[in-house]
Amino acid sequence: MADNGLFVYGIVPSDVEPTSDAEGVGDPPAEVTVVRRGDLAALVSEVGLGEPLGRPADLTAYQELLDGTAAVAPVLPVRFGTVVTGPDAVADLLDAHHDRFAEALDEYEGRLQYTLHGRFDEQALIRAVLADNPAAAELAGQVRGRPEQASREQRIRLGEIISQAVELRRETENRELVDALAGTSVANAVRPPSSELDSVHVAFLVDGDREDEFVDAAEEFARQRIGLMRLRLLGPLAPYDFVSAHQLAG
Amino acid sequence: MSVAANAGPADGGALERGGATSGLADVVETVLDKGVVIDAQVTVGVVGIPLVEINARVVVSSIETYLKFAEMTDRLDLSADAEGGLAGLVGEVTGAAREVTAGLGDTVGGATRQVGGTARELGRTTGDVVDDATGAVRDRPRRRER
Repeated sequence: MADNGLFVYGIVPSDVEPTSDAEGVGDPPAEVTVVRRGDLAALVSEVGLGEPLGRPADLTAYQELLDGTAAVAPVLPVRFGTVVTGPDAVADLLDAHHDRFAEALDEYEGRLQYTLHGRFDEQALIRAVLADNPAAAELAGQVRGRPEQASREQRIRLGEIISQAVELRRETENRELVDALAGTSVANAVRPPSSELDSVHVAFLVDGDREDEFVDAAEEFARQRIGLMRLRLLGPLAPYDFVSAHQLAG
Repeated sequence: MSVAANAGPADGGALERGGATSGLADVVETVLDKGVVIDAQVTVGVVGIPLVEINARVVVSSIETYLKFAEMTDRLDLSADAEGGLAGLVGEVTGAAREVTAGLGDTVGGATRQVGGTARELGRTTGDVVDDATGAVRDRPRRRER
């Protein structure tokens, strides 16, 4: 056991059973098993401690396992890369935090995360910003077609104006998205933008029996913004963005 | 209910659907730095994870970002009509911007640098280990009958 550890995917109620073909991290993919302790359990698989993890296939395996589990049972994702010494360590872990884990699992029973991620159409966005900012439009006219070195200062000034306008726009869009979907979701978490053209990025926790209403409301939000942004719906997912309140101090 | 893995607009709707297989950038953003953090006492340590070092987020206020935005104005197609729902937002392009339309076609056409390269950058960084990413579909754990 010295050279092996247990990769911990997530905490689940003890009546969760991995299917025989569930694949974990590693190459070849490890078999996913469950370590039970009373009414709690952890989804785990063996990993060699010398084996590097974090390949795209590992991340995908981790997410698919957790998302697939979330579709049938509540699951608390454990941070990717968490490896413990063995089943005893898992049992200790479940004992030590039993009440918090049990409470969190109750909270996520029947609930799923959906993430909405939008990206502005570059042309539509820049057009709108220039139309609202005569100073920016004038600068744009001055730098257009000139090499960066010859117009660097103006470009930086122009870009800063646009950047601030886009940030405001993003805040507004995120707020409107949250408002539009608050009625069909139980919680939300605004996420940081992942590109300068991000328009919205919000995770929502949704009751399983209101998924259709939620998706309809998201579709309506997207429909109202056709041409301005592309909106993608990711999910259903495990509640990745809602477990931070359950983080345990080291 | 199943894991939605269909990318692209569904049923001609405005909303695109993506799932676990919709791209590495999505996976990285969805799962990295999330989840319950376990006490150090019971953890033997984190196995080396190259991807954790990758910061998928863009620092929004930086000179580089400013220059990217300025470059977008270079790419702006001033002759294109505003479309549909945008009309109200776009209003009219100011005279200053319109003046320079003439003769800029070549420059605009030549601007090829892409923004939003998060996915590609990640792909490159991890390219050496991508080979065995199978994208395999797998069953999820099922709940036992109570």
